[in-house]
Amino acid sequence: MLAFAARRLVISVGLVWAVASLVFLVIHLIPGDPAELLLSQGGIAPDPAAVEELRERLGLNLPLWQQYVGYLGGLLQGDFGYSLQDDHPIVDEIALRLPRTLELVGMAGLIAVVFGVPLGVAAALRAGGALDRVLSGAAGLALSIPVFVVGTLMVLVLATQLKWVPAGGYVPFARDPGRHMLLLMMPAVTIAVGLGAVVFRVMRSSVLEVLEREHVRAAQARGVAPATIIRRHVLRNALTPVVTVVALHLGSLLGGTVLVEFVFNWPGLSGYLVRSVEARDYPEVMGIVLVISAIFVLLNFCVDLLYAVIDPRVRHG
Amino acid sequence: MGPTATRRAMLAGAASAGMLPFLRIPGARAATPGELTFGLSSYPPSIQPWQNTGTAAATMKLLMYRGLTSYAADGSLRGELAESWSPIGTQGWEFKLRDARFQNGEKVTSADVKWTIEQIAAERSTAYFRAEMQGVERVETPDDRTVRIILKAPRATLPVMMASYHLPIISRNSPRGQFIGAGPFMLKAQERGVSLEFEPFTGFHRAGLPKLKRLKAIAYADENLRVAALRSGDVDLIEYVPWQAMDGISADPGLSLDTVDGAFMFLVFNGGRPPFNDPKVRKAVAHAIKREDLVRAAFFGRGSPLQQLPIAASSPFYNAEYKDGWKYDPELSKRLLAEAGHANGVSCSLLSTAQYGMHKDTAEVVQQHLAAVGIQAELNMPDWATRVAIGNRGQYELAVMGTAADSNDPDGIANFIDGSLSPSYVRSYGLKIDRITELLAAGRAEFDDAKRKIIYREMEGVAIEQVPMVGLTWRSQGYAMRKAVTGFKNLPGALTFYSGLTFETTEVA
Repeated sequence: MLAFAARRLVISVGLVWAVASLVFLVIHLIPGDPAELLLSQGGIAPDPAAVEELRERLGLNLPLWQQYVGYLGGLLQGDFGYSLQDDHPIVDEIALRLPRTLELVGMAGLIAVVFGVPLGVAAALRAGGALDRVLSGAAGLALSIPVFVVGTLMVLVLATQLKWVPAGGYVPFARDPGRHMLLLMMPAVTIAVGLGAVVFRVMRSSVLEVLEREHVRAAQARGVAPATIIRRHVLRNALTPVVTVVALHLGSLLGGTVLVEFVFNWPGLSGYLVRSVEARDYPEVMGIVLVISAIFVLLNFCVDLLYAVIDPRVRHG
Repeated sequence: MGPTATRRAMLAGAASAGMLPFLRIPGARAATPGELTFGLSSYPPSIQPWQNTGTAAATMKLLMYRGLTSYAADGSLRGELAESWSPIGTQGWEFKLRDARFQNGEKVTSADVKWTIEQIAAERSTAYFRAEMQGVERVETPDDRTVRIILKAPRATLPVMMASYHLPIISRNSPRGQFIGAGPFMLKAQERGVSLEFEPFTGFHRAGLPKLKRLKAIAYADENLRVAALRSGDVDLIEYVPWQAMDGISADPGLSLDTVDGAFMFLVFNGGRPPFNDPKVRKAVAHAIKREDLVRAAFFGRGSPLQQLPIAASSPFYNAEYKDGWKYDPELSKRLLAEAGHANGVSCSLLSTAQYGMHKDTAEVVQQHLAAVGIQAELNMPDWATRVAIGNRGQYELAVMGTAADSNDPDGIANFIDGSLSPSYVRSYGLKIDRITELLAAGRAEFDDAKRKIIYREMEGVAIEQVPMVGLTWRSQGYAMRKAVTGFKNLPGALTFYSGLTFETTEVA
């Protein structure tokens, strides 16, 4: 088991290095000069000498390989560098924004599961009935509406028309827990609409599949109460694919909540990444992508280990 | 209670807790008299005083810093840290400082002005006015309240330049890495990427100002959310009102809209190679575009056609005789193309950006009008960063651009038409028209306004014929606010981005 874990760890570290190198290369290859951009804000022509001075100061005039070596050297020491725009330490900014995105994604996942699972079970138990048709139709609709449409509609109705909630923004939990939760709910619900529909569908088909299994039929034949069968024999088995799907979606949402963060002015990691790419802030882009990919790799590493624990054949595969 | 029941209870509890905030029906935010929340269009990348880092940063700089001169609400030049100024011959200017203090409590002295100019002109400076301040021969400080700026070449526009938000006077005793200014507000706190909070500077040199007790600027990059935040009462005032929202805001009895035609859209050329090295082809482009269509399509009717150089009609240097200098005349365009040897039409690329709607929409309308006279333009719309890089390197033939002039003085448009300046995406590439450069220099050196008017009239005449750029539209630049907000004013013409100066007189009832 140890040898297996060590092998997987080496592969994981290699993957992170490959991502770091690839991002470094790609961001330096696409057109756009950070110094030029920073001094050209607002459609103004900068003094070429000032641009050159800024390039020199930011180390952008060094040969690419020297920048690469410096970047990797920094990473090994846990130093992601400083923003080209205002010299702000990137580690600090990621440490500030990552929890916000995790919180948003986590709350969306919770809402999706809370609504998706029971409704999926209910639809499966009445498969083909009116409730099933209504819920399946609603899930289809929820899946087909783009996330920015859901978000914009929520802002329009709840914030602009009814004035029940703020249009968007962020307040730290420590400063005002109530307002923090208020501001969190709209973006979280927006993400949860689509995710909940996925959970509903997976749960419904999973329950239908489990209901056909022999142990469930045997329990029914023994006269076990239907509620007990659902709780003990169906739900537990049917939840496994739901957990897998939710975990995969939440992982991809880490870097994919851009539109929701934008629409609701939620200062998370995704929006930070987009603004960094727009500004060609190389260290910021590399730092954010590296963190997101490292989380992915770590999750995969844990899943690999779990598989190996559950099924010993994997270790020798 | 069994474990299943506990899970169920927990889930039910979580769902209920999640919905709790929605049950809080009252308004999202109660307005607080004396406190203003301002919806910014973007979070400033940096608020370094002398660097140009965009208009959002400029507005924040106007809160914290002030220069020798500035602008009154009607757009006229006024004294700021200087109470008066006068030319010394043709090569210099003398400024008399008023009794003003920096936010560290120290007096603003001539030594601070000298130090500021030296910092901007320094070898390793990245300041926007670095080249201009390197044109300063010397700075004399005969006493604490008098500063004489002696230039290497005459510059009648120095007092106007000193009003720029990129030229604030900073205390020479500022701690390293910090910049102490003499503006009406002090930065109290900032959350990077989210908001900046200011409190009034009680030692501000205008007695009784600022009137606000607190000012918070929150960045809303999404223009629709910015408007929603105003409508829902989250913010009191917003900048960069999207054109499509202006009618709705005007009709809202609780809101007011303040707009000016300040910024403008235009076309630039790669004049270093055919076909746009030929003034006839450039002129053909200028006459091919129906500006009214642009105003309608890209700005929802919120703007006006621009068929000459972008000098505002309210400016004393405005030349009414060139009002229709580049008027829509497709037949003339075709004739000019034929005279230039392109009777069968011409193909080119048209650079713009898909990142900003106004640039994209403008390019699409321009493309259609050009096609109608036989100019087949292929759109190239990368993101803004790439568009800037391509523009700076001249890797295009025709490009859409949009910005505002440096000031309402005609010298403020030099950046867009003076081909002797270094290559930049804001002006035509490789297109040097010597007479325009000469006239701009002459205008800068002339202290008599009547003579300056004659110089700039001739310059515009040359520009209409030689077409260093093509004016397209003035675009409406708007601020919207709750009716409870008073004292804030959108400054006229090119000064719209200086409107942050009026935060000092702004009140919230």
